[in-house]
Amino acid sequence: MTASSGTGPSLTTAAGPAGPPAAEGRRRSRLPRAVRSAGGALSAAWLVLLLLGSLTAPLWEPYPVDDQEPLHTLAGPSGSHWLGTDQLGRDVLTRIAAGSWISVGPVLLAVAVAFGIGIPLALTAAEHGRWVERGSSRFAELLLALPSVIILLAFVGAFGVHPWAIMTVLGVLLSAPVYRIFVGQAQSVRTLLYVDAARVNGVSSLRVNLRHVLPAMATTIAVQAAQLFAIGILIEAGLAFLGFGPSVPSPSWGGLIADASQSVYTDPWLMVPTGLVLALTVIAANVLADTVGGERERERKRAAAARRAKRRAARPVVAGGTAARPASMTAGPVAGTVAAADPDALLDVRDLTVAVADGPALVTRVSFGMRPGAVLGLVGESGCGKTITARALPGLLPEGVQVAGGSVWFAGRDLAGLPEHQLRAIRGREIAMISQEPMVALDPVFSIGYQLTQPIRRFRGVGRAEARRIAAELLGQVGITDPRRVLRSYPHQLSGGMAQRVCIALALTGSPRLLIADEPTTALDVTVQAEILSLLRSLVKTTGLSVLIVSHDLGVVADLCDDVAVMYAGQVVEAGTVAGVLGQPSHPYTAALLGANPHVAEGLPVPDRLPSIPGTVPAPADWPSGCRFAGRCALATAACADPVPATRAHGAGPGGTGIVRCIHPLSPRQEPHQAHGLPVPRPVEPGVTS
Amino acid sequence: MLTYLARRLAFAVATVLAASVVSFLLVHASGSSPGAITAGAGASPAQVAAENHRLGWDQPLVTQYLTWLGHAARGNLGVSLIDGHNIWSDLLNRLPVTASIALFATLLSAIFGVLIGVAAAVRGGRLDRLVSVGSGVALSLPQFWVGILLVYLIAIKWHLLPATGYVTFSASPGQYLQSLALPVITLAITGTAIIARTTRTGMITALRQEHIRTLQALGTPPWRIRYVHALRFAGGPVVSVLGIQFIALFGGSVVIEQLFALPGLGQAAANAIDNSDIPAVQGVVIIATVVVVITNLVLDLVLAALDPKVRTA
Amino acid sequence: MTAPSSAGTPSSSTAPSVPALSVSGLVVRYGRAGKTPPAVDGVSFDVAPGETLGLVGESGSGKSTIGKAILGLQPPAAGQVLLHGTDITRASLRQRRAVAIDLRVVFQDPYSSLNPAQTIGQTLQEPLRVLRVPKEERTRRISGALTAVGLPADAAARYPAQFSGGQRQRIAIARALVCEPQVIVLDEPVSALDLSTQAQVLNLLADLRDNRQLALLFIAHDLSVVRFLAQRVVVLYRGQVMEAGPVEEVTQRPGHPYSIALTAAAPVPQPAEQARRRAAREALGVGTAGAAPPPAAGCPFAARCPLATDICRAERPPLVPGNGTSAAVACHHAGEAAGIRLPGVAA
Repeated sequence: MTASSGTGPSLTTAAGPAGPPAAEGRRRSRLPRAVRSAGGALSAAWLVLLLLGSLTAPLWEPYPVDDQEPLHTLAGPSGSHWLGTDQLGRDVLTRIAAGSWISVGPVLLAVAVAFGIGIPLALTAAEHGRWVERGSSRFAELLLALPSVIILLAFVGAFGVHPWAIMTVLGVLLSAPVYRIFVGQAQSVRTLLYVDAARVNGVSSLRVNLRHVLPAMATTIAVQAAQLFAIGILIEAGLAFLGFGPSVPSPSWGGLIADASQSVYTDPWLMVPTGLVLALTVIAANVLADTVGGERERERKRAAAARRAKRRAARPVVAGGTAARPASMTAGPVAGTVAAADPDALLDVRDLTVAVADGPALVTRVSFGMRPGAVLGLVGESGCGKTITARALPGLLPEGVQVAGGSVWFAGRDLAGLPEHQLRAIRGREIAMISQEPMVALDPVFSIGYQLTQPIRRFRGVGRAEARRIAAELLGQVGITDPRRVLRSYPHQLSGGMAQRVCIALALTGSPRLLIADEPTTALDVTVQAEILSLLRSLVKTTGLSVLIVSHDLGVVADLCDDVAVMYAGQVVEAGTVAGVLGQPSHPYTAALLGANPHVAEGLPVPDRLPSIPGTVPAPADWPSGCRFAGRCALATAACADPVPATRAHGAGPGGTGIVRCIHPLSPRQEPHQAHGLPVPRPVEPGVTS
Repeated sequence: MLTYLARRLAFAVATVLAASVVSFLLVHASGSSPGAITAGAGASPAQVAAENHRLGWDQPLVTQYLTWLGHAARGNLGVSLIDGHNIWSDLLNRLPVTASIALFATLLSAIFGVLIGVAAAVRGGRLDRLVSVGSGVALSLPQFWVGILLVYLIAIKWHLLPATGYVTFSASPGQYLQSLALPVITLAITGTAIIARTTRTGMITALRQEHIRTLQALGTPPWRIRYVHALRFAGGPVVSVLGIQFIALFGGSVVIEQLFALPGLGQAAANAIDNSDIPAVQGVVIIATVVVVITNLVLDLVLAALDPKVRTA
Repeated sequence: MTAPSSAGTPSSSTAPSVPALSVSGLVVRYGRAGKTPPAVDGVSFDVAPGETLGLVGESGSGKSTIGKAILGLQPPAAGQVLLHGTDITRASLRQRRAVAIDLRVVFQDPYSSLNPAQTIGQTLQEPLRVLRVPKEERTRRISGALTAVGLPADAAARYPAQFSGGQRQRIAIARALVCEPQVIVLDEPVSALDLSTQAQVLNLLADLRDNRQLALLFIAHDLSVVRFLAQRVVVLYRGQVMEAGPVEEVTQRPGHPYSIALTAAAPVPQPAEQARRRAAREALGVGTAGAAPPPAAGCPFAARCPLATDICRAERPPLVPGNGTSAAVACHHAGEAAGIRLPGVAA
């Protein structure tokens, strides 16, 4: 059942539910993340073995714990004593095993106490607003400032040596850092909308904390618990080493090391097994922390991606093709594109393909061109590849993604094959870029003046004072009325619109020929957007700047652009002048996009229901070899399963630069609104004008 | 900015007072009393009681605390019950020892840690793996164990540095540095590992930020991106951890001073507690807390100076 | 400063019935009084049963804050919120469990409004468990809600990660529907969606509007979306109502300079028409958004308004019905505003 059921025709195929689930979902592995890697499994195994071994020690120890053999003191490892003997002839293995529980158990208690106090306090503070949070935070800071080891010693001095009691006190002291870490986490989880939704639905605060806030923090809790455990072991061993541990002759690891240190100058071997078991336990806890936190997985993926990228970069990229490309991409030469090398073209992108290294392609055989002083819009919905395409031009793709084919001709050079240092020379000077969120695009710790004068000095080779003058001039050029004040300001003191103006000024410091604007107004209010678009237009007029603007908003494109290329699922499905494409769309997808816009022209009534396209955009891994829109298109036929070439479009204006990638393009007679609900129209025959 | 300072100062004072209360309560909660110490072992209860009365132990708690506080505020921390030495001057003499170790260790950790961390983040690949694994092992090793091994190898076996003892700077700068070398190196192993990890993570996070994209889009040279912008961005967490390091070293010096026979605050604490030397215990807690609090204050100021949002508020 | 009167009541022909939702004189502050102007400064409106009211504004207009105050997520400093005549203004979330059973919410961000660790079924169950609905009834209502939003019943066993943004937003709507409410607050429910997905969800909301007697408070920044879905609209600027009235009136014949500027600013995908609109908008001469600081008293739009005079900067204009229009406008120069209205420029 489509959403627009029963209320009128729509550009949809057979009714189906609102799309299948986007992905079959990562099959949730049965094993907890901790043991999925070798390191994690080994660490967990070590810790479990240790505890089990210690608790069951009386059952399997080869010698009684206190059994002394005066004739075999300080012996090295041997058949009868696997780890040797200590200065009283006692078996080291037995003593280590026997001492494990008393060295580890109280630390577990400390961790439990620390979390048992810290987490509920953090949850309460995060829930109850400023005063409660301030009070608890001050208290936690107080605890943190106390010199913990000395306090512990004072406690020992006051009450004597009781390992479990001492570790409880340590737990209380450690609850402060636990609180500090988790109050921030809990606060940020509480800003998530599903917590608000639960609260509005009347869920009790206890349930909100247990079912929503705590699970979101689960990973961090596990990681911090493991790390705290590691720290606790070291502290406990230190105390035992000082003689403040469990009393002699009951063994503990720290005490064993202290004993060993007595004879280190004569028989150093004893230090090894005692220290190693301690070190291995702490390492195991830290490895477990890393694994549970997913740090390992992320690192491995990063490293693997980096290796793949290096391998790919080493292989030469041949313009127009690489070895392994699916059949759809080797479809014959594209007719009707800017195929003839336009000598006046500033930018000429031909058959650009961008792919994940050793993965699916994200953008396939995209071609478009720009003349100097023109404004081209790259339009499409999320996932169509427009941002990737834009970023591929100056070579600013994210890690693990790279150009896999095609060429990017800019001012006579193919940027796709250039090495990094040459691309760097072009960036800023010839091609500049602004992006979507101006507030985070600026460095938060440097003033605007610094951020502007640095590139000015680099590009124009002037001194500081002159650079500042130029900076103020640029700010004026982008419509900022008080340049001096803005130069002294920091990014957090600016509004979104002002920040975007600053970013535009930054882009102009190198006097570039081409400005790539990646959704520059999406994050701005509509009135601010209008101002920024006006600014861009006036810059184009006064400086002859060319602009490539990426947007999902057809209105923005209609306002600013001369030409437009519509993208869907990694391909350009239609391109041409703005008047041609938006006024007389040829591709069903373009028509559908225009139809889905709730704005209606003056005089026309508001539609009862909006014509909508059922289903969702296919993911790169699921792209068919034929038309990628066929699965959602009302005009699809069997022929659409074959690769679709881009052909000359009707009414694309003089010069024939319009193209459409469809074998059933809409005829110019059809109004976009009327396209819905008509039976399958006759395809336009080439050469037949309207 | 000024109100921020004032608030932090007030809080610092409150913390020191709180620590003094805690230590005061602890010593009073314990079984011993000063009279038992001064009267000596084997004294009769009457003698102990007489000593306690002489020392003011039987007065109400609040009065005792306020009296002590009044004296402490004027720099008088009393005298040791054991050998009668002036606690304040003794601790003042010991302070430079502990402070030197903590400072040098932190400095060494900072220099090497940042260098290693930045290299690992920037170069990636095998160096990065090595640093990850190496630092993971280094911060898991118990410091006293490492210390003993180093003493064995460097002092005893190879006779490169003195094993124990301390020489003041004024007596001989060269020997001063030598006597500190082994304890500082021991502590710096763990410290470098921690700082390297923090720096590395900080740099990687910094390099993922959107403003780095902006700098790249302007063709900014990579060295500038890494060492001016990314490092600055990562600076906050690194400075925080350095401060925590210093405090941990200060508070945790007990073990190291024991190991290397250094006459610092840690040793004083261990002795005082061993001997139930009540005024000494209180004294050392106060001094240690004051140092920690001052460090936190300086840390806060540095962090505030680094953060433009606080600076311009 | 005169207190603005309650605006935009339904046309006088209907019998006076208790509005489903009534907000009067609402004031909400972040931070201490006097330091910054309030986020919501004296806003009043009613939503009749079965009616859809659009709340439109840009960032800083207070529209989301109003939603939060109605839902109890942000305590108001002054004013009243009535649900079917019952005062829920200061009701804590606990008290609301009994009183505000009929009031539900759909939030903007489909990615953070569903708990990723819970299945859809568990998420949809939660409000029903609070209401102590018995188990069989719960299952029935859940599958009913899923069907109503166009999702298969087996979606209940899956996790949010397996659904697209548009599908998640449908789930969020299902979560609101599962309690069979009478009033739903929708806080920018389609702003984060692609155009084609937005159309699907808007159609769904239109179905709900028509088939169930739901009162919908639709918070948005896009006037054309509001025109599609709502019957009446309230235009907000800096926490105050600028204009309120039937959606056709306000969007096609805006009476307040800000509404005129807002309708003119949104670009349309027809290049020739857009060029005309742009020229007309630039001729308006509305001041830049960030340039001037907000005025201390008087009309909040005075710093940018081409018609502003001294009275505008001194006295806050009351919200009164305009001349020859059923919309109410808060402007000292409402008559002239009609004059600068741009021909052919509408939402």
